[in-house]
Amino acid sequence: MPLTSEAYTTQLITLLEDFTQDWDHDFQGAMTRDTRLFANLAFESIDIIQLVVAIQEEVVRAKVPFEKLLMREGRYVDDLSIGQIADFLAAQAAG
Amino acid sequence: MTTTLFIGLDGCTYTVLDQMTRELPGEGLTMPFMKSLMERGVRAKLRSTPNPLTPPAWTSIMTGKGPGEHGVFDFIRAEDHGGEVYWTLYDARDIDSETIWSILSRKGKSVAALNFPLTAPAPEDLKGSIVPGFIPAKHLRRNTHPRELFERIKQQIPGFDPKELAWDFDKEKQAMESLSADETAKWVRYHLPREEQWFKVAEFILKNDKPDVMAVMFDGTDKIQHQAWPWLDAALLKANPQGHDKEMREVCLEYFRNLDGYIEKLVTLAGPEAQVFFASDHGFTASTFVLRINAYLEQKGYLKWAVNDGSEQAIRREASDFANLDWSQTTAYCRTPSSNGIHIRVAAKPGDPGIQPEDYESFRERLIADLMSLRDPDSGKPVIVDVLKREDWFPGQHMRRACDLTLVLRDHGFVSIRNLLPAVAQRPQPIGTHHPDGIFMAVGPGIPTAGMVELQDIVDVAPTLLYSAGLPIPSDFEGATAESFFTPEQLAARPIKKGARTRLTERRQLGQEMDAGEKQQIIEQLQMLGYME
Repeated sequence: MPLTSEAYTTQLITLLEDFTQDWDHDFQGAMTRDTRLFANLAFESIDIIQLVVAIQEEVVRAKVPFEKLLMREGRYVDDLSIGQIADFLAAQAAG
Repeated sequence: MTTTLFIGLDGCTYTVLDQMTRELPGEGLTMPFMKSLMERGVRAKLRSTPNPLTPPAWTSIMTGKGPGEHGVFDFIRAEDHGGEVYWTLYDARDIDSETIWSILSRKGKSVAALNFPLTAPAPEDLKGSIVPGFIPAKHLRRNTHPRELFERIKQQIPGFDPKELAWDFDKEKQAMESLSADETAKWVRYHLPREEQWFKVAEFILKNDKPDVMAVMFDGTDKIQHQAWPWLDAALLKANPQGHDKEMREVCLEYFRNLDGYIEKLVTLAGPEAQVFFASDHGFTASTFVLRINAYLEQKGYLKWAVNDGSEQAIRREASDFANLDWSQTTAYCRTPSSNGIHIRVAAKPGDPGIQPEDYESFRERLIADLMSLRDPDSGKPVIVDVLKREDWFPGQHMRRACDLTLVLRDHGFVSIRNLLPAVAQRPQPIGTHHPDGIFMAVGPGIPTAGMVELQDIVDVAPTLLYSAGLPIPSDFEGATAESFFTPEQLAARPIKKGARTRLTERRQLGQEMDAGEKQQIIEQLQMLGYME
């Protein structure tokens, strides 16, 4: 049975807490659906690549078409929230 | 006990190594330990992959197969979808052959592989240690195998600094750029602490874990040679260098002196019973001119440049190292400078851009003729000395992903794909570029004092290392054990044995299943290099 967006959110938060544990950023408190990668967690574009690999390897165990999430009308999105990624993964899992 | 120590030296060439291992007037002997090893051992030139480039060449060293089989051709993987071309970076999951790290591990040997490209993410069941190369500092911990190794390194190696050790993509981009005198010296200095960090990690693992096969790659050799070639090639050195020339020569010597010290410590630590091997993925030479290949192809009517509307995005795209073209009017083009190759666009169906499939042979012959006819406007000499057809040079399951044509330039340089004229221009001063012939050397028990022997092929490194480690050679390896690297006594006592075929890792099989439904690659990956808007 495909996971829900809430379930993916929990997994993504666990992954991102590990991912950013020794990064130099100012984010404090608990991550939520609304936490944004670039604005809150000091992501750079290189980090997106690594996150995509980590999600594929550790969360969904499959390659998913992330360009559908990362691009809007031919341009890259400025930022992404954990909730947006979770919604995307849930939609992909639901087929 | 470590039986095999493998030290990779990215881009190392005898042109430089021979200088560093002999007494030079006023400079003395820069690499005394390496000199003693070379005198006691055996060495050969090592012919690289057809396009002598880091990702395909190291992957051939790690798999014993050519790019047509292992599937890695460049830093960048691109897919032409008719109207658009999608780009992504290669990683370990793209290597479609089993690596020696996996083979050794599967056969019960412990292994450590440090700073090799395309080693992350590591197979989960690998018995040993992987600290990958080409990974930024922020991601080193998660890409180190096993995970806890990173914490061990961090806590137990005094002065360990991942920021000094890992790739800084902004800095690495400079390898192919034209730098000022001051920046060039800084560029060389930047690599001194990097190599020290890799040495410390290698020393720590060798001392504490004693893997059966220990492998570490030092890549400063390549990076420095790109920018500091005029101060490394004896043919280009000024007689009595002063000022900046003197500073550059001194910092280059300092790099190689340090490297010699690291090698001495690692060889000593591995112990007298270990066989020691050195290899480089390619050699180096001087590039004296620039070929702006897409500008030439445009002159010949094979491509059209994309329209630059003057926007910031368009300007950045234009300046990037990826072909920026009007895909609807392009039939042949070069994607990246590092590919040194040309892709021919064949229409997948009627109405698609590109040539018709039935016209491929005649189109390609005309293109080859146009390429071979290009002359240096100053000297009248040919600019392109050979054009390699992919079916001849990249046979294997991934042949169709190779460039249709790979170019060999007169000076072995890499092409430029910038929208600039003239198509051929002299460089203000020579820069370092890759040469097909690198180094392959060995020393230790069972290895003869034989000096220089016959040319070896890059796919021979993997079987030679496996033989040294006591394993049979997989029957589907393209290379063969370098027999002249071993004494007759050793070969008689332990004959080279052929073994079963290589296997793909579990992860790779899963990946292929997942790939079946995948339509596109993750374009986003290339943003990090500043190559795409």
